[in-house]
Amino acid sequence: MGGRRGALGFPAAAPSARVGGAAPSAPVDGSAPPAVALTNVSKVYAGGVRALDDVTLAVERGSFVAVMGPSGSGKSTLMHCAAGLDSPTRGRAAIAGIDLTRLDETARTELRRTHVGFVFQAYNLLPSLSVMDNITLPLRLAGARPDHEWLGALVERVGLTDRLTHRPGELSGGQQQRAAIARALAARPAVVFGDEPTGALDLRTGHEVLDLLRDLVDTLGQTVVMVTHDPAAAARADRVVVMADGRVVDSLEAPTPARLATTLTALEVR
Amino acid sequence: MLHLAARMARHRAAALLAVACAVLGAAAFLTAIGVLAESGLRSHVAPQRLAGADVVVTASQSLPQPGDLAVALPERAPVPASLVAELAGLPGVVAAVGDVSFPAAVIGADGEVVDAGDAASAGHGWSSTALLDGAALFGSAAPSDGEEPPDSAATSAGPAIGQVALGSGLAATAKAHVGDRVQVIAAGTPGTYEVAAVVPGGMGGVYFDDVTALRLAGGSGGQAAAPTATVDLVALRVEPGAVDEVADTVRDLVQDAGLIVSTGDARGDVESPQATAGRGLLPAIAGSMSGVTLLVVGFIVAGALAVSISAQRRDLALLRAVGATPRQVRSLAAWQATVVSVAAMIPGVALGYLLAERLRHVLASSGMLSPDLPLTFGPLPGVAAAVLLVLVVQPAARAAARRVSRLPATEAVAESRTEPRTPSRVRALTGGALIVGSLGIAVTPLLARTPEAAIGASLAGIVAAIGLALVGPLLVGGVGRWLARRLPARASASTWLAVAHTHGHSLRVGAAVSTLALVVVFTLTYAFTQTTVLAAAAGDLRAATTAQATLSAPALGGVSDEVAAAVRDLPGVEAVAPLSTTTVVAPLTMFGETTMESAPAAILTPDSAGVLDLDLRDGDLADLRGDTVAVDAGSARAHPVGSTLDLVLGDGTPVRAEVVAVHGRGLAFGSIILAGDLAAGHSAHLAQSVLVRTDGTAAASEALAGFTAEHPGVVLLDGSAGASAGAGASAEAGGADGLGAVPPELWINLVVLAVLLGYLLLGVVNTLVAGTLERRHEIAALRLAGATPRQVRSMMRREAALASGVALAAGGLLSVVPLAMLGIGFLDRPLPAGPWWLAPGVAALVVVLAFAAVELPTRRTLRTPPARMLAEAL
Repeated sequence: MGGRRGALGFPAAAPSARVGGAAPSAPVDGSAPPAVALTNVSKVYAGGVRALDDVTLAVERGSFVAVMGPSGSGKSTLMHCAAGLDSPTRGRAAIAGIDLTRLDETARTELRRTHVGFVFQAYNLLPSLSVMDNITLPLRLAGARPDHEWLGALVERVGLTDRLTHRPGELSGGQQQRAAIARALAARPAVVFGDEPTGALDLRTGHEVLDLLRDLVDTLGQTVVMVTHDPAAAARADRVVVMADGRVVDSLEAPTPARLATTLTALEVR
Repeated sequence: MLHLAARMARHRAAALLAVACAVLGAAAFLTAIGVLAESGLRSHVAPQRLAGADVVVTASQSLPQPGDLAVALPERAPVPASLVAELAGLPGVVAAVGDVSFPAAVIGADGEVVDAGDAASAGHGWSSTALLDGAALFGSAAPSDGEEPPDSAATSAGPAIGQVALGSGLAATAKAHVGDRVQVIAAGTPGTYEVAAVVPGGMGGVYFDDVTALRLAGGSGGQAAAPTATVDLVALRVEPGAVDEVADTVRDLVQDAGLIVSTGDARGDVESPQATAGRGLLPAIAGSMSGVTLLVVGFIVAGALAVSISAQRRDLALLRAVGATPRQVRSLAAWQATVVSVAAMIPGVALGYLLAERLRHVLASSGMLSPDLPLTFGPLPGVAAAVLLVLVVQPAARAAARRVSRLPATEAVAESRTEPRTPSRVRALTGGALIVGSLGIAVTPLLARTPEAAIGASLAGIVAAIGLALVGPLLVGGVGRWLARRLPARASASTWLAVAHTHGHSLRVGAAVSTLALVVVFTLTYAFTQTTVLAAAAGDLRAATTAQATLSAPALGGVSDEVAAAVRDLPGVEAVAPLSTTTVVAPLTMFGETTMESAPAAILTPDSAGVLDLDLRDGDLADLRGDTVAVDAGSARAHPVGSTLDLVLGDGTPVRAEVVAVHGRGLAFGSIILAGDLAAGHSAHLAQSVLVRTDGTAAASEALAGFTAEHPGVVLLDGSAGASAGAGASAEAGGADGLGAVPPELWINLVVLAVLLGYLLLGVVNTLVAGTLERRHEIAALRLAGATPRQVRSMMRREAALASGVALAAGGLLSVVPLAMLGIGFLDRPLPAGPWWLAPGVAALVVVLAFAAVELPTRRTLRTPPARMLAEAL
């Protein structure tokens, strides 16, 4: 795993592993494609529920984007379609220039484990594995040799160096979420998706997790897309995309929590 | 609480299905066993030949035991003939009949014996026709059945000497009419008789004049008026409505003589002591089945409850979080399990009654039970099974919910995702103690070479398997850790994950492993116990039989002394000896308590030395005269040659016999062999078979073949095949029909094995499927971490391989000790006897089952996108 070295000795966030058989469509002009790109994406669930309605969205590399919206606004579906967890009914979704909609489930999985990291509200660590084994799991599944230098730096950054042999059940909620973040970053993905990553944490621990995400973006140039309904959390992002009824209704650059709260309240009472 | 339990049960249908299946099967087994036991005590063979009698007086056909069930006596005990006249004079008595039965068969025009049911008791006196149901035979023209009007004109006087009357069923088969002359072999003696009458009613039976009948029955030596004359029973017809009154009077009169007075359904019990004694087997069979069944049922029900509670751990934890006390959580779990169990018991109990009827069929067709004996279908077995199961389910569910109910509420919710880290020490120690204890049970086949002791092998196996269920998590965790250390760095992610799961989820994997191992242990020990005892008995019999041929005559009711004597005079015949079995009741001392146990016993004579090699350790068969017995080596420790043994013969006669020989063929010939002189008059009239040793020349074989051709009804069998018909443990195997060479005990045990195995497999599949479905969340998390569906399937397959591998190894190891003990005890080698394919077959079954029960739910789980699965699992 070669790669450009970024600040603090971290390798840059550019994906270097090419697994999955789908080569990124390198643009002719030489500029990198956006980390995440949704083009006219609609998602209709069985029963006619339109969760996404013609959404177009691009997330530039190295940016921190939050997706907000009331319950049922389609923000989770947006994330699932963008991350290749679910396939859109219409439209095109791409990660690092690779079109997800043309891949089958196995190819999508292989793309995900090298290009996408996930952080969930419920951590989703495997209880039978140690913290270290959980963190290296995506590499192991991809059959990739772990880059110990990178992993060591990562573990130290998330503050779990002395917890590596513990089981997830022996950690606090915040520690578990930090382990999940380390796991999401282990394969140096193009983008990390967070689905309410602070939802199960208390205020202070949630704060620490957000600090960590923010820091990853700032120091490593990591791309992060976070779905949340918490204005305070969303305000840590560079850009906040506001959704309602399956559409992107607003896009705010570096908003304040207060402004976000107002926007959200306006949507909810609508 | 009950309402809440029911509501929760509705939402966790899948998890509770395992409990429902387990309880349904358990209710069926317990009910069926209960029905057999109850029938053994309460059900009656309907009176047939005695249907027309109102009151029947017989000797007691059972031996009362203080504090235990009375021992049923299969041989007919006689009643003084003088009683007939005495009872005939009582007020209210219309007629008194001294009834006798003896072997009789009619030879048809084609020279073959006419098939007429039970030949051993087909012969009767004419007066017995008074006992037939609705028999108005005493008039001049008996009512006809329509088929044979001219023949039915029986005379009230009945047959004279030299005449017989035939039951209409028999007459029709033999194509005999009134006035024809027919050949009859009665009590082994052939003769030609004129048919004087046909007795309507469609039954068989050969009716002689009363004097001849008494002579043939052997009760009086030809003098009906002799003071020693006896009859089988005295039957009375009484005036209408006087039954109870007469019965009371008679009871007062005969009580001191120890006689029994029967009316109503009880008449059927005294009609055939053999059928009634067979009924006495039912509680014994139920008892022997109940031990293994209860263990298996307890194992499966407890396992299903553990799986169901584990699947609902989160629900229960949430209840704790909203304020339920630990006791309330346990109580909820218990009541929910009870609701499901009671719902499953209703079809289960119904199934149990059907199952009991199937078992009765098997017992009847294997000759262990009279086909005429119906089962008693009372409510008691069903209610008892239901109560017993509720008493098992309640504490088992509370125990299964104990851990989750005692966690602090918040921790309970968090922990609901994972499983407890450390398997309980107490649990592991208990399991270890059970396994060690099972070794103690496993040595019983070394101590006694009897079929009862052989059961110790399968009991030891099951107890050890239950021990394994308790040690399982520790064992599986250890194996997983050992493998993890030795796993090569290049091992695939799927293999690595499978190993990690095995030690990380040792409780879950341990449960799967121990149920799979139980299948192995149960099948191997139970089946090999049967086949080993069978092989040992057959080996004993083969080694003992020096005769080349066996004659028997089931169609004639047995082989007469005259036939035996005639065979002895054939050219090339060197030795001839009769062989019969009866039942003897002997004191059995076990654990310091002496009970009277009835056991089959062979009847031999001094001549037997010429046809049998009994591996004599002491004494001489030539001394087997008078009141003497031979005992097997095991019994000889307490009863050496020269000592005396107090026995009760099959008809209830107490005797004191001297031990004159000690033999080494206990499995084939039983622990006690009676001298022919001792058993005479207390067992069947004719010998069941005659063993013949020839000089081995073709001429001798031809002479024997020629002899049987000349004597209708006499059949020639191979040496040991014939001997097995006469000896061995089965008292009724006079005719080698029905299920061929498989002895009835083995047959019923194999049926029980098959039924229980099916139940066990259901339980295993339940556990595995529920365990896999419970991992939906984990599988979704894995897929989100980058596992392809193929990798997930591959991981699950490796886990199944690991679990079945450990189960096969553990099950094999646990079976080895009991089976080796069994082999040493019965075959003098540390190997059991049986089909070689049993072990690989059961291994294949376990592997196929483990893979299928994991693969199918995994595939189903993989069809749901992981993100949606996670949302559902939350």
